[in-house]
Amino acid sequence: MAWISRNWTMIGIIKGLIVTMKHILQVGNRKTVTVQYPYERMKVAPRFRGKHAVDEDACIGCGICEVNCPNSTIQIVKYDTRWFPEFNLGMCLFCGLCVDACPMNALKMTGDYELADYTRESLVYGPERILFKKEVSK
Amino acid sequence: MITNAYELIVAILSAIGVYDMILGYFQDMGMEFILKVIIVLVEIAVLLVFVLLTVMFLSWLERKMFAVVQARYGPMVTGPRGLFQPIADGIKLLSKEDIIPATADRWIFTLAPYIVFVSVLLVYIPLPFGESLIVSDLRVGLLYIIAISAVTPVSILLAGWASNNKYSLMGAIRAVAQDISYTIPLAITAIAVVVFVGSLSTVDIVNAQQGYWFGIIPKWFIFLQPLGFILFLIACIAEMGRIPFDFQESEQELVAGFFTEYSGMKFAMFFLAEYAHLFAVSGIIVTIFLGGWTGPAIPIIPIQITSLIYFIIKTYAVIFFAMWLRDTVPRVRIDQLLHIGWKIMIPLALLNLLVAAFVVTAGVI
Repeated sequence: MAWISRNWTMIGIIKGLIVTMKHILQVGNRKTVTVQYPYERMKVAPRFRGKHAVDEDACIGCGICEVNCPNSTIQIVKYDTRWFPEFNLGMCLFCGLCVDACPMNALKMTGDYELADYTRESLVYGPERILFKKEVSK
Repeated sequence: MITNAYELIVAILSAIGVYDMILGYFQDMGMEFILKVIIVLVEIAVLLVFVLLTVMFLSWLERKMFAVVQARYGPMVTGPRGLFQPIADGIKLLSKEDIIPATADRWIFTLAPYIVFVSVLLVYIPLPFGESLIVSDLRVGLLYIIAISAVTPVSILLAGWASNNKYSLMGAIRAVAQDISYTIPLAITAIAVVVFVGSLSTVDIVNAQQGYWFGIIPKWFIFLQPLGFILFLIACIAEMGRIPFDFQESEQELVAGFFTEYSGMKFAMFFLAEYAHLFAVSGIIVTIFLGGWTGPAIPIIPIQITSLIYFIIKTYAVIFFAMWLRDTVPRVRIDQLLHIGWKIMIPLALLNLLVAAFVVTAGVI
């Protein structure tokens, strides 16, 4: 019974009730922290590691990313006369080692995180979905 | 003098001028009782629709308030501010598979949710929604309410036992222990009010609270018996099984308590019963301690409508408090619950009754 003789004034409960009442009445800056996800999105961090992207002009198809990948996510495939990496994102752990290892700085990771899909096959991102062309300023 | 909803319907029909015509039509066939049955069925239908709409609104309100307190949005997509979310939930539950576990006691398992719902619905019968807006003014109204509330733990125990699941049984045992230990202070504090009124009828209790002291303070029993009100409120929250006393559910420990194994329509029945119970118990608190449907009369508008509005406002204030408490506090331990019930609430309730009886006998009020 010690706990009740200690807390018989119920100060803690009353303080808590005041805090929740402030939330209900929106006293002070109590903005909603969640967002209405499919309709609005939070900004991802600038160094967020999402889906990969390969610079079409810079990539030389050397295969160093393939060697460095801990999960054998990457395979070098032929695409339109040149060789490019192909990512099986079902196995990728988004560690970013391929990006670190690229000698031409052709690889980067985008902020795209909505990668869920219906089949395993559609998780294999070939060069047609990975490549991008850097805007060259003249 | 109109005293209940049946007579009110008859009076409305007479005012329109169709009652005599209908009555004559049935009298020609020699079957007036069919007209009575029809009017009673209309009453029941109105009550059921009211209860269902209330349950829908309350479940939305509860989720929304919880979300606001936690700095979330809550339901937003279905309808304006997610107001139609309960309809979507109901349709989902109705279309779900109705699973009965292989080892469950089929009959009791199927019966239990309906007993819970019916026992909650029966509480509405002597509940005065407003001047003459009462299904039946029983002379033993308060006793009836307490007796019917005592059916709920039985059906909860049936549900927990029939599920043949350790979590269900555990939740049911806890719920029964809690209900038994909190019905006693509930009944004793109610008796303290009955001592003042001299009647168990809910209408008499409300009528005794009309008028003002010194022209300002309404003659509500909350001002006469503040201790009794606090005890009654705590006991009611415990009997409803809401946080901080939600031992029948205990979702962190017991999955979902006694309705762990229920799904589909049967789960919906428990859900309906929970919120219908919340409204009924809040209505009882309002009737006994907060003056029921009494309030300043507004000219032109008939008293049936104003009293209904006062009752609804007061009831929602009590419901708001219960939800506010749920959003704030964690659950107490089971031994703490029983300590509070037996060692604090019951002695205080007896003291309250003693003081009330003394005051009435001495003729102070």
